[in-house]
Amino acid sequence: MTRSLAIAYAVARKDLTAEWRTRELVPALGQFVVLALVIANFGFQIDSQNATVIAPGVLWLALVFAGLVAFGRAFAAEREQASLEAVLLTPAPAAAIFAGKAIAAALLLIACEAVLMPALALMFGTPFNLELVAAVLIATVGMAALGCLFAAVVARVRSREVLLPLLTLPLWIPFIVAGGQAVQVAMGASGSYNQAMALLIDFDILFVVLTSLAARFVLDD
Amino acid sequence: MSAIVAHELTQRFGADVALDAVDLALDQGEHLAVLGDNGAGKTTLLRILATAARPTSGRLEIFGLDAVRERKALRGRIGFVAHSPGLYPALSATENLEFFCALQDVNRKRVPEVLDLVGLGEVAHRPAARLSRGEQQRLAIGRAVLHGPRLLVLDEPDASLDSAGPDLLANVMRGKTVVLATHDHALANRLCQRTVMLRNGRSLGAGTRLRVVR
Repeated sequence: MTRSLAIAYAVARKDLTAEWRTRELVPALGQFVVLALVIANFGFQIDSQNATVIAPGVLWLALVFAGLVAFGRAFAAEREQASLEAVLLTPAPAAAIFAGKAIAAALLLIACEAVLMPALALMFGTPFNLELVAAVLIATVGMAALGCLFAAVVARVRSREVLLPLLTLPLWIPFIVAGGQAVQVAMGASGSYNQAMALLIDFDILFVVLTSLAARFVLDD
Repeated sequence: MSAIVAHELTQRFGADVALDAVDLALDQGEHLAVLGDNGAGKTTLLRILATAARPTSGRLEIFGLDAVRERKALRGRIGFVAHSPGLYPALSATENLEFFCALQDVNRKRVPEVLDLVGLGEVAHRPAARLSRGEQQRLAIGRAVLHGPRLLVLDEPDASLDSAGPDLLANVMRGKTVVLATHDHALANRLCQRTVMLRNGRSLGAGTRLRVVR
């Protein structure tokens, strides 16, 4: 267990160090989410009445597409550098390697969310509170696990940019539904925040366990 | 004691036969050169020996273990240098090796020792992207020997190496069982006691370096 944690930490640290030095992904994602908000701001007739209805949808759309890019790069970069094979030829458990990749990709997406949520509050005039942050962060965990698993699956095929959304988006729907509900309530709509969060946590546990088990089969061959 | 016993190793990619019923036996500590033209099947054979690929059929034992079913157990005992160095360009030479120390469960103190062995002590903190192609190859060789493997599988390790390359390879190969693919017959003759020649995925016969190379 300790060894698996050390490996996951080493993989995540390596990915984050590489991103910190190259700044390939996070600045581009940050610009993407801000542009998405600007377009949504112009595209919808936003006023104080409908902002809390429209804003959650805009938030999840921006988050989903930013997530696809972030998770897609997690394994694509390794394949392009031909470094993944060297990693997989070590005795390190596949689940630990996968966990490290997913943690790093999730942290990169969280960095992007740190831009997205305040920008949303600024442009749409919606509340920016702890409930909103918690809902987005909890959803990110399960989305990262699923996104990275499918990114690993499609990394070895040429049409990965097309396949990744096709495989990932249907399985992200539970997070978007429960997360959307939690965010709406956090922004002032009526409903049960706790129920939506409990559902999100259940999905997180389910998909983290399933993807950890599947990682061995995906990464080993 | 045998390090490698391969019986009728075959690898097909669709209708193409990349490796056709190749037999191989190598004792511990022996160095074998795999020779052959482009497309002869050298890389396919080496990838199977490194457990990076599974053969379509045939049997392969490495150090007495089934190399397909027990490949996880074997991986700590094998060092592989592939065609591409497969390094992390944003990380320094030291950081690249330290990362693999974590994966291989090797003490980080081994890193400076390995960097000196492959002649990269002076560029230890330079990002891999800024190393020359030859230095990147040296770093890939260093990564392959980091965990002290008993078997080294080297796919054209002399590619991009300078004139000191053969000495470096002789140093890292010392005391290990080695399978080395190369186009350079002189290098094979210098570093290996035995050779095997491949053509169109078939073995044209194995022998001592004197019989096959000369």
